[in-house]
Amino acid sequence: MERPLSPFMFPIWYRFQITSALSILHRLTGIALAVGSILLVWWLITVAAGGELFATAHTFLVSPIGLVLLFGWSIAFFYHLCNGVRHLAWDAGYGFEIRSASRSGYAVLAATVLLTAMTWLYVFLT
Amino acid sequence: MTKTSSLSDKTALRDEVVPRRVRQFGSARDGLREWRLQRLTAIALIPLSVYFAASILSLATSDRKTAADWLSLPVPALLVILVVLAGITHALIGVRSVILDYVHTRARLLAAELLFRAVAVLLAGAAVLAVLKLFLGH
Repeated sequence: MERPLSPFMFPIWYRFQITSALSILHRLTGIALAVGSILLVWWLITVAAGGELFATAHTFLVSPIGLVLLFGWSIAFFYHLCNGVRHLAWDAGYGFEIRSASRSGYAVLAATVLLTAMTWLYVFLT
Repeated sequence: MTKTSSLSDKTALRDEVVPRRVRQFGSARDGLREWRLQRLTAIALIPLSVYFAASILSLATSDRKTAADWLSLPVPALLVILVVLAGITHALIGVRSVILDYVHTRARLLAAELLFRAVAVLLAGAAVLAVLKLFLGH
């Protein structure tokens, strides 16, 4: 079954395009969120279990690695949320023109940065 | 809705003729149901996950009593159970579409699918139990 393959989509063979880059990022953040939710469910279980289990989870989450993971989870979350809304608009038949597809892509990136920054400002101020 | 309308600039969300036409396509024969469930959970997750993220990002670094008190309230307990169920369903469909793209051996595909389904069911069950324990046993 040696069939010719089309070149891999990214990043050497094709010119950079915001639309394809964001499409790949949607998938990557989706996987990251799925893995990250294991961490959050684990935290939830330790809250219910209490005792030493919670102490271990708490020490990990407030450590630099834990905070970086939470921060990364929040970026992935806001990106996937905003780009998901973009996908729902496409599903409803809106925004397919190349110009509006790349414009909405940049809007998604801006919204991701803004929402992540606002969230962490809120977390640290309260 | 006329059955004779053309497929141009129609999507499954706008025109019921589209899902009726594509229902039997695809190798699994149930792609449309999955497609719809992914969109349905996506829409549900817009408010649910924003609520969850806003709460969890400050609570995950707080002490146990603050988190346990929060989950003993009915509204947070209900919304966390819903976000877990919708989120894990959404994640499972997404992860499944990724493995369908990269795993081409039938046996490996089946094994991967069973594994991810098992993990999803275990996670969802454990999370729901944890919330119920905090909510009922407070």
